Amino acid sequence: MFKNYLKIAWRNLMKRKIFTAINILGLAIGFGSSILIYLFLSHHLSYDNFHENSDRIYRFVTEEHRDNIDYEATVPPAFANEFRQNYNYAEKVAKLAIWENTQLDFELNQQKIQVKEDMLFAEADFFEIFNYPLKEHISTRSLEEPNTAYVTVDMAQKLFGNSNPLGQTMRLDNMETIEVIGVLENFPRATMLEEGLIISFETLKKLDDFAGTEVWTGMTTSLECFALLKPNQDVDAIETALLELPKKHRSTSKNRHEYQLQPLADVHFNPLYGGVDPTLLWAFGIIGLFLISIGCINFINISTAQAFYRSKEIGIRKVLGSFKNHLFWQFLSETFVISVFALGIGVIFASLMLPSFNSLFQTELYMESLLSVQFFGFVALLLILISFLSGSYPGILMSRIVPVLALKGKLNHNDTGGSSTRKVLVVAQFAISIILIAATLVISRQIDYAINTDLGFDKESIVMVKIPKELEAVQLESLTNRLDYISGVEDVTACLSSPGGSENRWGTGVKYHNRPEYEEFSMQVKLADLNYLNTFDLELVAGRNYFKADSITEVLVNEKFGKKIGVNNPEELLGKKFEANGGYVKASIVGVVKDFHDGDFTQEISPIFMAQNPQWYDEIALKINTQNISTTLTQIKGTWKDTFKDYIYEYNFLDDRVEEQYEEEQRYLSLSKIFSALAILIGCLGIYGLILFYVGQRTKEIGIRKVLGSGVANILALFTADFFKLILIAGVFATPISWYLMEQWLQGYTYRTEIHWWIFAVAILSIMTITLITISYQTIKAAITNPIKSLRTE
Amino acid sequence: MLLQLQNIFKWVNSGGQRIFLLKDINLKVKEGEFISIMGPSGSGKSTFLNVIGMLDGFDEGSYDFLDESVHQLKEKHRAKLYKEYIGFVFQQYHLLDDLTVQENLEMPLLYKKLKGAERKAMVADMLDRFNIVGKKDLFPAQLSGGQQQLVGIARALISSPKLLLADEPTGNLNSKQGEEIMELFKQLNEEGVTIIQVTHSEKNAAYGKRIINLLDGRMI
Repeated sequence: MFKNYLKIAWRNLMKRKIFTAINILGLAIGFGSSILIYLFLSHHLSYDNFHENSDRIYRFVTEEHRDNIDYEATVPPAFANEFRQNYNYAEKVAKLAIWENTQLDFELNQQKIQVKEDMLFAEADFFEIFNYPLKEHISTRSLEEPNTAYVTVDMAQKLFGNSNPLGQTMRLDNMETIEVIGVLENFPRATMLEEGLIISFETLKKLDDFAGTEVWTGMTTSLECFALLKPNQDVDAIETALLELPKKHRSTSKNRHEYQLQPLADVHFNPLYGGVDPTLLWAFGIIGLFLISIGCINFINISTAQAFYRSKEIGIRKVLGSFKNHLFWQFLSETFVISVFALGIGVIFASLMLPSFNSLFQTELYMESLLSVQFFGFVALLLILISFLSGSYPGILMSRIVPVLALKGKLNHNDTGGSSTRKVLVVAQFAISIILIAATLVISRQIDYAINTDLGFDKESIVMVKIPKELEAVQLESLTNRLDYISGVEDVTACLSSPGGSENRWGTGVKYHNRPEYEEFSMQVKLADLNYLNTFDLELVAGRNYFKADSITEVLVNEKFGKKIGVNNPEELLGKKFEANGGYVKASIVGVVKDFHDGDFTQEISPIFMAQNPQWYDEIALKINTQNISTTLTQIKGTWKDTFKDYIYEYNFLDDRVEEQYEEEQRYLSLSKIFSALAILIGCLGIYGLILFYVGQRTKEIGIRKVLGSGVANILALFTADFFKLILIAGVFATPISWYLMEQWLQGYTYRTEIHWWIFAVAILSIMTITLITISYQTIKAAITNPIKSLRTE
Repeated sequence: MLLQLQNIFKWVNSGGQRIFLLKDINLKVKEGEFISIMGPSGSGKSTFLNVIGMLDGFDEGSYDFLDESVHQLKEKHRAKLYKEYIGFVFQQYHLLDDLTVQENLEMPLLYKKLKGAERKAMVADMLDRFNIVGKKDLFPAQLSGGQQQLVGIARALISSPKLLLADEPTGNLNSKQGEEIMELFKQLNEEGVTIIQVTHSEKNAAYGKRIINLLDGRMI
């Protein structure tokens, strides 16, 4: 029986090629997107699920309670040893620290090689907690020694080609020599470790006088601490026990720490601690569902519209012994055939799109991961679901057709039913498209707003270069002076970080004037030389810039600082005492800087102070002339290289850096653009199918109208009006929904664009235009046909 | 007794008025009969045939088919009944355009859930009996009207119905083809198939052993 169904399904499909193509294409796009989304979601859901004891692995994180709560995925450097020695909850505890983009020098086949790599410093126990198997190693050596390292198979290949990696030595950041003592198997793709070079933690102790030491006074997010707990531990009890640590070690601090245990499974999914935002995953899932449903809607609309043409067949079948359920299953198998084809095309579509998808989302998804039991399960489920979703309603409608009427040819289109259902479904399709277009508009407006609003500092034509090692103050000054001599360079400043650059919070210990207590809030610090204000065009609202001095005696603060301590007149701040970082800074306030957006638009402007302290400077900012940029850049490189002979030169532009803050938003934007385009495309296919059907159905009417003197425009208007009505209804539903959703999204921003009514008007109008274009060809074709023809055929 | 209709009324309401399609019809049909129903257009012939075939319902009266009270049966049982015992032949043949001759013949058997081998044998038998073996792989559009009707009748007979209902079976055929079909009916009747046909033509009606005349839904 089923074979027979399939045979007939095949012939039916071949007979109505256009409609079959529309159906298959619409569903194929839906399938293709679902497959990509499946890959994406399964990649994220499989994160670090391969560790043997993953349910007992935890990361220590910190809640910082000040005037508000900050969440940091780290603990003070001294935490690990304290937890190891004084508590009995864990089998193993391990620290690791990440260094990004750090220089390595080594010799390979008599050639000097310089590269920059991301790397990890880890305690040996790290490999006892996690399952990253060692492939080969020098058995007499261990990662507990300083200056030792492991590399992964891929990293070994990348660095040393086919040479044996074991025993190779490298200069790390021109400071320490490390030796490769082991090779690790490549990591699974879905794991938190991305760095293929792991260096012993003992080495870090020589390099970093903060993360490598035993202190409780501060934290750095480059350091993480993991533990493998003993079986059956009560996490709440541990957290309660840990409450005593801050009391013991940080009793005077206004920044009250609470240390907590984050389960490994939560690490990848908790945005508070730098994980992926699950909303993105949800958005993906829902959009996949949207696309599939639009495809299904096309199918339902076209099939129910076509039911009339099949009524004769159904009548005959019923008279010859078919029951309703036979017809239902017959129709469903047709849907199944279509879905299988669509699936095939969808897979091709997905594999073609995968590279661009990967580059957009910075993922490394592979089609090969589709060869899994889960995927086949997913596809089977999807096939069945789609067949049922799109096939069952038309199937029911068709099986209801009354044979006597069908056989006598007395049925008309309304008797085969579904016309009001079609309208509802088309409205739903339009509504989805309108929502997606409106979302695209709002997201792009927000990005535009964030990037193009006056941030309070100059970000155009500013080049940032690193200072790779500590220089004497005199040397640094000579370097900046030489850079300033370059004709294309207008201003130069050496600083810890640019506005919009990395965050440097000196947590507690801000004391103002003669107040006895430390303030509760945290402060950003911008250490920089005298030219900082000029280079970034920062405005002083009161006082003056600091004078040149060897130690910090004068500071600048921003207006926000005044607001935080309750002094609204900037003039009042001048001359007041200012103490920060536990007395490390003792100075007086000499100037107040106008607020500028140091963080991205999700963050409120923080209180900031600025001071000069050359030993902390990390980078140099150069305001350059827009003429002869390439010459200027070459000259900058030359001058830089004179001072830093052994280092790799890198630079970037400040405006790129500011835009990078909105990488995720840009991704959302591409996502909504692509998916609205797809939704509209599938929707158009459906509309095209429907208009073919409507025109066919109303041929006679068109003929009569033409004979009575109606023009092409009138006839186009006749069909257009029907669709426009539906679009308006869709707009009525879509506007509040998308308004609400986008308002929710914008809530994540402290500084945000407004949602205007015209955004929805634009969305609705663009759908109308697209619909008009879609339907005009068929309609105009019908309208210019000689009416004699259409009337004669009746 | 094959079937018995008593006091059958069927009507539609149109603009507050009741228009009768069938009025007080009484009919007994014994197995082996060959009945022709005649009457002008709109006299209710087709409606009458559809009521007998259970494709259409009625508003009043009783209908017994093989000792089952059709008027008391649920739709599903009624469908089961006619599918088992009644074969239909139509003026427009109503073959499925997408199926070959062979597949058209096979279709009713599929719905009866017969095994593949069994179906093949029965189809081969029919092709043989109606002398259309050479046409088995052709599609309906490739056949003449007479040949299509031949396939239509073969399809109606393949599941060995007790009753064959034919609605103007020769209406779309030329007189020679029509005559051949009527000869076939006569022969089938002699082999024991009960036949009720609707026709306009006196000549074709004469093939029947009994003629019923309808006028405005009434038997006269």
